[in-house]
Amino acid sequence: MIGDFIDGPLWYFSAAVFLLGVIWRLIAILRIGVTVDLSVARSSGAGGALRTLFSRSLPRRPVLTRGKLQFVAGYMFHLGLFALLFLAQPHVEFISRRITGFGWTTLPHWGFMLVSEAAFAGLLLLLLYRLMHPVTRLISRAGDYAASLLVFLVMLSGCLALARAYEPLRLLHLLLAELLLIYFPFSTLMHAFTFAVSRGYTGAGMARKGVNA
Amino acid sequence: MYRPVSRTASSLLLLLVVILAPVPGGGASANNREEGIQVPNPGTDLWREVRKRQQPPLAGVKPPLNGAPGVDLWMEIERSKLSPVGSTQVKSVDSGTLINPFGDEWRRFRMEWLVPYGGYAVAGMFLLVVLFYLIRGRVPIHAGPSDKRLPRYTVYERMIHWFIAAIFLFLALTGLTMLLGRSLLIPLIGAEAFSLLASASKEGHNLFGPLFLLALALIFFRFVRRNIYQRGDLTWLLRGGGLIGSRHVPSNFFNMGEKSMFWMLVLVGGVTAVSGVILVFPVLGQGREIMALSHVAHAITALTMILVIIGHIYIGSVGMEGAIEGMTTGYCDLNWAREHHDWWAERCENNGEVITVEEAFEAEGFTPGAPKHHRPAGETAE
Amino acid sequence: MARMKFYCDAERCIECNGCVTACKNENEVPWGVNRRRVVTIKDGVPGERSLSVACMHCSDAPCAAVCPVDCFYTTDDGVVLHDKDICIGCGYCFYACPFGAPQFPADGAFATRGKMDKCTFCAGGPEADNSAEEFRKYGSNRLAEGKLPLCAEMCSTKALLAGDADVLSEIYRKRIVNRAGRVLQRGVPYQNATLRSPSGLKGKASSLE
Repeated sequence: MIGDFIDGPLWYFSAAVFLLGVIWRLIAILRIGVTVDLSVARSSGAGGALRTLFSRSLPRRPVLTRGKLQFVAGYMFHLGLFALLFLAQPHVEFISRRITGFGWTTLPHWGFMLVSEAAFAGLLLLLLYRLMHPVTRLISRAGDYAASLLVFLVMLSGCLALARAYEPLRLLHLLLAELLLIYFPFSTLMHAFTFAVSRGYTGAGMARKGVNA
Repeated sequence: MYRPVSRTASSLLLLLVVILAPVPGGGASANNREEGIQVPNPGTDLWREVRKRQQPPLAGVKPPLNGAPGVDLWMEIERSKLSPVGSTQVKSVDSGTLINPFGDEWRRFRMEWLVPYGGYAVAGMFLLVVLFYLIRGRVPIHAGPSDKRLPRYTVYERMIHWFIAAIFLFLALTGLTMLLGRSLLIPLIGAEAFSLLASASKEGHNLFGPLFLLALALIFFRFVRRNIYQRGDLTWLLRGGGLIGSRHVPSNFFNMGEKSMFWMLVLVGGVTAVSGVILVFPVLGQGREIMALSHVAHAITALTMILVIIGHIYIGSVGMEGAIEGMTTGYCDLNWAREHHDWWAERCENNGEVITVEEAFEAEGFTPGAPKHHRPAGETAE
Repeated sequence: MARMKFYCDAERCIECNGCVTACKNENEVPWGVNRRRVVTIKDGVPGERSLSVACMHCSDAPCAAVCPVDCFYTTDDGVVLHDKDICIGCGYCFYACPFGAPQFPADGAFATRGKMDKCTFCAGGPEADNSAEEFRKYGSNRLAEGKLPLCAEMCSTKALLAGDADVLSEIYRKRIVNRAGRVLQRGVPYQNATLRSPSGLKGKASSLE
């Protein structure tokens, strides 16, 4: 009964909320527009935007020396989560069955183990850093904790359901994932999409000024 | 392997055997035939037969020359127990081993020793802690809380502490679920619900297990220097860490008990983690004996850690006033430091590391553990 | 009630692996799982013997004792079965079993250990007899149809016997008496008696029946 609801209507509802919400948020951001820059551009903004999109993924030396752990943990978590989301066998099966109709290569056993360990370690360390460091604690709001906690719970429930033999465990994982999808567009989790906008904007602005940022 | 033997040679051999055969048996064989031959009861389990063979033979009793052939074969298999003795078309781990008597020893260990005594030990430790609290009460800061603070743990140190703490708690809970669930939980929630719980525990335990190794490594490299034993630690031990007598025993950043817990965690926890890795990857080709031995090591070391950590959690939280602040806020009360880690406190005071509670508050932002009246006016918890 | 047992006669087993094949085919066991295997001792040297091994359906089964979720049960026929809905694939039964009977399919997202699979004495599982669900999980339920396990039924030399322990005892006793008698007559320890009486079928178990 409740299982059918989670598996059926709620899944479609949450997917719709996620999709429409993300599009709505992105359009809203893009509609803000850019203030007209009357100065003569020193170079094209597009190239700078593209470069910054990737170059900002690399830590800079002074930042790196200040906090190695955040970078290591951050990379572990984000790469691990991305690999888990799109390359774990159950996920590919799910995506293939529900969304795309086709699947792709999945991670081997050892690869799955590696990325899930990395993702869990990274998330736990980052969450603790947020709690322990005075600055991050000061700037963190309830929404940040909610997002971290929700992602952690989704990952944990997924890990508990790994035997793939118990319907309640799968439904719990699915329910939490659906809650995450619904919460996603209205929270800081949107950074998964907006990072590109913000980096592109910064990069383009800097490139027009002739700054290699 | 075989040299072809010529027809003549084999005929000669045959002749030899035929001639010599009646000699050793002599006349006895004729009598035996009439009396009936010793036939073991084939209805008994083969396994029971083998277990019987494991008992030392009675002195002076020779096995019958014409012993039951089936049992002799099993005996032979049993004698060479720790190596695969046979060959088989089925290619998998240990598939050539006909019989594995170690499994029964492992069963006895788990069912007669580990589950009951492990359960009693954990329950007993809880009781002990409660009793200790009732008798001894919370250890106070005798001089009372001061308005001075000492920086005790950095952000990174607190991070890795809570990292390993979270992982350890999760692993301990899931592990105990699998160990004691059959006796404690199945009668309460039924087999189906417990199966779900146990499966979740197993998968979670398997996934978080390797993280413990990582966390342990982080803890080790960060804290090892402060945990090297030094002069004065023996005194601490001899006086039971202040339990015996009323005076506190001087100690450094970590006292003898904390150092011992650190080394216990590193050594015992290392065994737990490594044996766990052996258990968690059954695809590496390790045999049953290795797995069962790993399980024994894993269970004993993990239980040891759980018992010690229960004590650690008690003394770090409700058991002692001012103990937990160092790990939550990063700063400890000066009076607490003087009473429990006086050598370290003295050194910090000489180095001028003492700050006021307001400074600690400023450096640390909002400190959840700080007493309310020390919070500067105008600031709220949010 | 009957107490079902397997018995494999090492003197008769010719290592044809017919039982293994019969079992795999009858029960459609998962890939990588062999509920039955033939082990050859002293392969290629004098005294070579083969034995077909699967779950021996112990009266005091170590697997059932150590199972953390208590998924094993013994039927009225003395067959040790397990419930795959309860099993969590921990592998403890595999450590405890002397015969290496429990097998684990590469299942689940981790592809390490799925639900345990072992010989059911062709008696299925806790589901309704001969239901599709039962067949999918445990394979054939021949016992419910009044038949014995296919491995034993297929054994070409009747080395592998399955059935009530008392009946098996009687058959095996006859064979033993017969063989030991022949050997004793020549005074050779049975283990070393590689040369048989040359008088055709006389003295072999089959000649008595």
